[in-house]
Amino acid sequence: MSVPILKQGDVLIASIQAALSDRDLVELRDEIAGRIGRLRARGVIIDLTALDVLDSFATRTIRDIACTARLRGARSVVVGIQPDVAFAMVQLGLSLDGVATALDLEEGLALLGTRQGSRAVGN
Amino acid sequence: MCGLVRAAKLTLSREASGSGAFSKGDVILVDSQHTPSLLLMREMGLNEQDVARRQYIVGLEATDLERIAGVRSLITEHVEEYASVFFDYLAALEEGRAVTGNRPVAERARQLKREHLVAMVGEQYGTGYVAQRLELALLYNKAGLELRVFLAAFHHLLKAIGGALLDHFETDPRRAFDTFMSLKKVAFFDIGVTVDAMVFERERVIRQQQAAIRELSTPVLQIRDRLLLLPIIGIIDTHRARLITEGLLRAIRANRAKVAVMDVTGVATIDSRVANHLIQTVTAAKLMGASVIVTGLSAEVAQSLVALGIDLTKLNTVGDLQGGMEEAEALVGYRVTSTDKRRGPAASDDASS
Repeated sequence: MSVPILKQGDVLIASIQAALSDRDLVELRDEIAGRIGRLRARGVIIDLTALDVLDSFATRTIRDIACTARLRGARSVVVGIQPDVAFAMVQLGLSLDGVATALDLEEGLALLGTRQGSRAVGN
Repeated sequence: MCGLVRAAKLTLSREASGSGAFSKGDVILVDSQHTPSLLLMREMGLNEQDVARRQYIVGLEATDLERIAGVRSLITEHVEEYASVFFDYLAALEEGRAVTGNRPVAERARQLKREHLVAMVGEQYGTGYVAQRLELALLYNKAGLELRVFLAAFHHLLKAIGGALLDHFETDPRRAFDTFMSLKKVAFFDIGVTVDAMVFERERVIRQQQAAIRELSTPVLQIRDRLLLLPIIGIIDTHRARLITEGLLRAIRANRAKVAVMDVTGVATIDSRVANHLIQTVTAAKLMGASVIVTGLSAEVAQSLVALGIDLTKLNTVGDLQGGMEEAEALVGYRVTSTDKRRGPAASDDASS
């Protein structure tokens, strides 16, 4: 199952709707990395609202996506991690160090917006 | 099974009771659908399978039932006598007064004991029999009869029955012994049920208190829009840490919180394990996009944490709750100004304008 990647302004939104296989995750990573360049995206939002499990490979891949995006010049935010998922991740020692997180899509967009705004003011 | 449930109304008034054992629940109303013993049975999980298992555990077999049937009249004809053996023994003991010193309890217990003795040789040891045992166990428990006293009196009763069996089978002591051992299996089946019920009832208080403590001890309060306060008082163990974390995560989602202030002023000692729990809670909240400020680490706690070499650099800590609140408000985007012109931030605003 492939993940739809939507474009909203200069932000890419990947909304994961069901548990993904490792191959799907790798495809998603490659697809996002490609699109950031093609669409000149400044931000990436990965929405995990629909997920009720997150294993170590998925965690690592999401971290990889964030790192890749940063190298390509886009900031990423992971949004919508459910309370149970967050708790399970902590218990299993899975971390998203260095990746910004937000409560939901709205918050994620706001987070990317303020960052861009503050940079504009700084210039 | 319901046929065995005697719809009985038992009134135990405090005036009538010699001892003050009945401090509450002076009136016991028994309706046929929800007798306390049936409720207890359900709570304890005493269903048909469990009862069958209990029979198997004591080794109750068809041959035992045959032997018991052979001496049924011997017991049923002397029920009053054996009940007296039990209660006279209790009366002689100071610890037994809990039951014998209280007339309504004593009469009810005696009646139940008579029924018990009849049922003991009744060859039916299913759920109905167990319900009867529980009713008596509940009565003992309410009266405050100690387990060791009950066991001693029951043993005395068995001794009397054993003696009677020996007299009955005067010429065949082997048969007397076998019959007695068959009855003893039933007796131990009874003891198992009674002891379990009495212990279960006592632990009920502990369970209720634990639940109350759990509920009271982990409140998550919203003090501003998108700002939560999490005061923690007492000891943090693994179980409670889990509850705290779960409560916080759910509250973050429900209130769309951005910042949570966790105040640990009321936590007397923080060791590496507790510190680890705190870090886990903070990390989990971070995954949901909320930041956590920990406040109220006392000087002693801070020193001991440093001495233990625990790395809390992952935590955003502020000295006291006031400081934590101020930082949290700043993070969410509030600025608190005093309405008193003579002091506070409002005064300095005036001076600058």
